[in-house]
Amino acid sequence: MKFLALIFLTAALILEASLTTIPFVFLCLLCLTVLLRENWLFAFAFFFGILLDLVSFKTLGTSSAFFVIFLFLVLLYQRKFEIATNTFVFFASFLGSLGLLFLLGYNNSIILQSLISSFIGLLLFWVLGKFVKVGTDSSMSV
Amino acid sequence: MQKRNKFFSYFLIFIFLSLAIFAISKTGFLNPLDGFFKGIFAPFQAITYGTFSKITEFGSNAQIQALKAQNLALTKKIIDQNKLIQDNKALRDQFQTQNPRSLSLMEAGVIGAPGFIPGISVPETLILDRGENDGIKVGEAVIYQDNLVGKVVKTSLFLSEVMLITNSSSSFTAKTLNMQSQGVVKGQGGGEMILDNVVLSDNLEKQDTVLTKGDVNGQGTGFPPDLVVGKITSISKTPSDLFQKAAVRSQVDFSKLTKVFVSTR
Repeated sequence: MKFLALIFLTAALILEASLTTIPFVFLCLLCLTVLLRENWLFAFAFFFGILLDLVSFKTLGTSSAFFVIFLFLVLLYQRKFEIATNTFVFFASFLGSLGLLFLLGYNNSIILQSLISSFIGLLLFWVLGKFVKVGTDSSMSV
Repeated sequence: MQKRNKFFSYFLIFIFLSLAIFAISKTGFLNPLDGFFKGIFAPFQAITYGTFSKITEFGSNAQIQALKAQNLALTKKIIDQNKLIQDNKALRDQFQTQNPRSLSLMEAGVIGAPGFIPGISVPETLILDRGENDGIKVGEAVIYQDNLVGKVVKTSLFLSEVMLITNSSSSFTAKTLNMQSQGVVKGQGGGEMILDNVVLSDNLEKQDTVLTKGDVNGQGTGFPPDLVVGKITSISKTPSDLFQKAAVRSQVDFSKLTKVFVSTR
């Protein structure tokens, strides 16, 4: 599972670093968190956040801090509510992308980009759902 | 038995690490490491960007592409011819002949365009595969066939970031080719820019070429004179205003650039 996550995240990292501001890495992390709900995703969020900052001329630690905080919020939310739903993924993708693009200082149609991110997030959720079984461990404790 | 994940402790560890790296990075201690990793990633970025550029070109009208290239070459010829005419005139009039130092150009590959979503937004910045190790400095002009592309705003050991002239933070002095009107070109974002601060008494013409006025500083960085910025597409002149302005469009499609040249001195 970790290997699959690694492949998806590496592909997302290369795409995001080379082509577009659509936060593919964030979307991948979000979908993996929703589906797997594993603690090692924090390590992936940290590691890929650092790599993303490295290749996109951002201050190191910016993206990783955002990813880690967002994953934490998602996991907190799942203690009370079901998160493996299209609605949750859509809104989490939208809010997360909006926050990330704003944090990274992009001001070029970020609402539209966030909307596109939401749809890509949904698509990714659907694709990843084919490979990954939704985590059943709903007893994650703080 | 259900596994009880203590995700709060994981969160604390990694948020602490992220913030620590953020703080250290702000002080500049991580710059060598930064450059090393950028060097590793650069080839992958180049391959992805190059492949994508080829995909976007696939299916486009070859004749239009050829005409665009021809248009660029012809504009360059007009500028060169104009410079020759001006030089001759100066010689004839026994003015001092100014022989500007030829630009020292360094070829650089475009390996990324953050902020670019094909069909939705245009690039605001470009990432080049050349950095401090190649002698690139912040403030140097980036050009393509005598057309101004932008300015280097950040450098690392192996890469550099270029702010395009259409970026909303971009601003520099310029002049028009035919009327020699002077003004300030300001990027508007989204691939647009305007020639502003042109006095009302000057005449602006549609399709007139806008050139850089030149603002090279003592360190040798900045925009050299007579680089093509673009052509005037519309003029806004109101008698009650202090200045007139004009919309300027670059002749270069920044989203299709794969090679540019950095003007190093």
